[in-house]
Amino acid sequence: MSTLLSTLGLHAGYGAGDILKGIDLALEEGRILTLIGPNGSGKSTLVKTLAGLLEARQGDVVFAGERVNGWSPPRRVKGGLAYVPQEYNVFRNLTVLENLRISHEFMGGGTGDLLPPDLAELFPDLPKRYGALAGNLSGGQRQMLALACALTVRPKVLMLDEISAGLSPLLSNAIFKTVKSINARGVTVLMVEQNAIEALGISDTCLVLAGGRVRFCAPAGEVLGRGDLHSLYLGDAREMA
Amino acid sequence: MISFLVLMSIVVCFSAILALALNFQWGLGGMVNFGLAGFYTLGAYACALLILKGGANTFFATLGAMAVVAIACALTALVTLRVTEEDYFAIVTLGVGEVLRLVSLNEDWLTKGALGLTGIPRPLSDVIPSDVYVYFLLGLSIALLLATLWVLNVLARSPFGRIVRALREDDVVAATLGKNVLWARVRIFAIGGAFIGLAGSLHAFYYQYIDPTQFSNIVIAYAFMAVIAGGRGAHAGAILGAAVVMVLLEGSRFLKDVIPWLDSDRLAAIRIIIIGVGLILLLVFRPQGFLREHRLQVDLATATMRRS
Amino acid sequence: MLQTAFNGVVSGVIMTLPALAVTLLFGVLKFPNFAIGAMMTCAAYLVFALNAQLGWPLSVSTALIALAFGGVCILIDQVTFKPLRGRGAITLMVASLGLGFILENVARFGYGNTARSFAIELARPFRFLDIRMNREQMITLAISAAAMLAMWFLLTRTPVGRAMRAVADNPQLALVRGIEAERIIRWTWFITGMLLAVGGVLIGMDRALEPPMGSNYLVSVFGAAILGGLGSPLGAGIGALLIGVASELSTLVMPPNYRIGIPLAAIALVLVFRPQGLFGQPYIRK
Repeated sequence: MSTLLSTLGLHAGYGAGDILKGIDLALEEGRILTLIGPNGSGKSTLVKTLAGLLEARQGDVVFAGERVNGWSPPRRVKGGLAYVPQEYNVFRNLTVLENLRISHEFMGGGTGDLLPPDLAELFPDLPKRYGALAGNLSGGQRQMLALACALTVRPKVLMLDEISAGLSPLLSNAIFKTVKSINARGVTVLMVEQNAIEALGISDTCLVLAGGRVRFCAPAGEVLGRGDLHSLYLGDAREMA
Repeated sequence: MISFLVLMSIVVCFSAILALALNFQWGLGGMVNFGLAGFYTLGAYACALLILKGGANTFFATLGAMAVVAIACALTALVTLRVTEEDYFAIVTLGVGEVLRLVSLNEDWLTKGALGLTGIPRPLSDVIPSDVYVYFLLGLSIALLLATLWVLNVLARSPFGRIVRALREDDVVAATLGKNVLWARVRIFAIGGAFIGLAGSLHAFYYQYIDPTQFSNIVIAYAFMAVIAGGRGAHAGAILGAAVVMVLLEGSRFLKDVIPWLDSDRLAAIRIIIIGVGLILLLVFRPQGFLREHRLQVDLATATMRRS
Repeated sequence: MLQTAFNGVVSGVIMTLPALAVTLLFGVLKFPNFAIGAMMTCAAYLVFALNAQLGWPLSVSTALIALAFGGVCILIDQVTFKPLRGRGAITLMVASLGLGFILENVARFGYGNTARSFAIELARPFRFLDIRMNREQMITLAISAAAMLAMWFLLTRTPVGRAMRAVADNPQLALVRGIEAERIIRWTWFITGMLLAVGGVLIGMDRALEPPMGSNYLVSVFGAAILGGLGSPLGAGIGALLIGVASELSTLVMPPNYRIGIPLAAIALVLVFRPQGLFGQPYIRK
């Protein structure tokens, strides 16, 4: 089992201080890794840094055996590291079809089907809405579109930033089922989630982030079994210091 | 030589007042005035017309000009009732400036069009003996510049100024304050406008003859360069910037003697090209940028995120 | 009155290409570019050089210069705006203002202030439905229509065009969907450069060729783009027509020199009542 994506001593931030204060992470091929932690712990920042939208100030990001610190986001995505942002994750003024087409064209698709057939069957509703403006879709439909766009060229790693945010429990459930199926079809997944319990339910590994550092990393089942999960969500200040 | 320096200094003074006004509107209020040339024109013509056609003396004409430009700016700022994006507002000011420029050019019955207005008297010119008059004018200009500096500084430090700064930085704060925001913006722009009117009046007194060509876009460029060179809304910086820019560029008039084959049209063109290049270089090489600008969320080229 | 309306349509059509350029640049680069007027002027003078000075036919000169000017605009962007990428809109606007000064005065330096015209054969105007139309106007209509059609095709049917719309919609998302921002910016400038070159020639055919030629159109062109909705190519076209017709019709009631009041009023009204313009993106740009 090889490590597809890893970081070593990663530091990153926006302004004066660092938000990420030395992150070590390893994502193994074929697995689903979920990142959880309180608000402000740096989960989104971490994923953005992995995607290349934020520069790593210190440390390494290694993807498929190569150090990708200097790689621009388009280069990373063409190399197989796909990312679905938390908000504004579809081109709202373009149609569903155009959204898929663009992703397909620019992520290295060439001619051929917009989605690999085995992944396309996970999104049966999309073709019915090809002509609709992405901005007119409902929340759940938009998330599905965003997900599909990231899969138009089968990525090696798929990174999701709170894919279930704002969705009803029913839709949330459906999305996690889809993510599980995506993984079953050979895509390694890294998820950032507030919806910890559901997410961990489909994951292999769990990483807990707080205050910009990794608190611990363990198999998902083990974390689910702990009773003190909620202490992290109440923002236990001592833990985070 | 001395008299040349004196004259140059007077020009620096009212150019600096103009730069300070721009600085106030833009630096403090976040409202960039691309129509500066037009409002400046309005100030000069208002002053001149009040004297020549209205029979006012120079003092009241100046006050009148200040009021006129202030009102024009206030009206322009009302557009920000709905839209606060700085770029849209800039376009509006550009448009207003253009219209004002056209009025000065076309309304012959009022402004004598391209012929311009001549015979503008200078303040107290019948009282002060003519051989020392330039020095008086210089003293007056400096005094007015210092007064402008003082007033704008006081306003900037006042509670009003703090509110305005907060509004400029944070849209959410602005939204919660509602109607007060519009009012504050109108006031800022109007106050700046008053000082543009002052600068215009001094311009009219200095040259004693005004026509539309004097207020070409060079004026805007000078003021912008002064403000950018001065940097960070620092008022003293704007003045210094105005002085430097003026000296460098007016001094280049001497190029004509050095390079005789350049006719005046070509020379004028070169000077403006230099200004344009200087403007761009200033923008590129002042790393702090001008004030805390609202930066784009993503630097497209290097794909790094910046907090706005 | 019909004649005035027709003239208005033509003058509106002349503005469609620069308005489209404004809207494309705004969408991709996120700021209003005040140099486009002077760019049109420069391109027109380049065509003048080939056409009136070297004696080449106007069509050939325009086509050649349009292609070349696309390249010139890319270069200009590399030198002027690229170093300022990511800085605020005001910085970029001021830079574009400075660039406008430079370009307009390069033209002035090269050709002085006297008005020039292209070397085109004189043709008799003809009448249609009691409206007088001349050859230049017909050419203008035809070329603009063809250009708009080409643009529509580009933006909706080609990967580059779709990418331009994507970047205009959401630059950050475009990056993580594999779109290289700088490449798209270069393409945008190339296309815009061509539009501005052709636009400049059309203006030069309509009025005399002189240094302030393009800049005089700035307010009208921006008015058209804003009325149509900044970022919407269709809006740019419709906005231009509306502004053109309204401006011409206004001469029936106002002195002609104040035509510029129309686009200004349009901008003010739009900003106060419907900031996104007629066809502006219904979803706020990020």
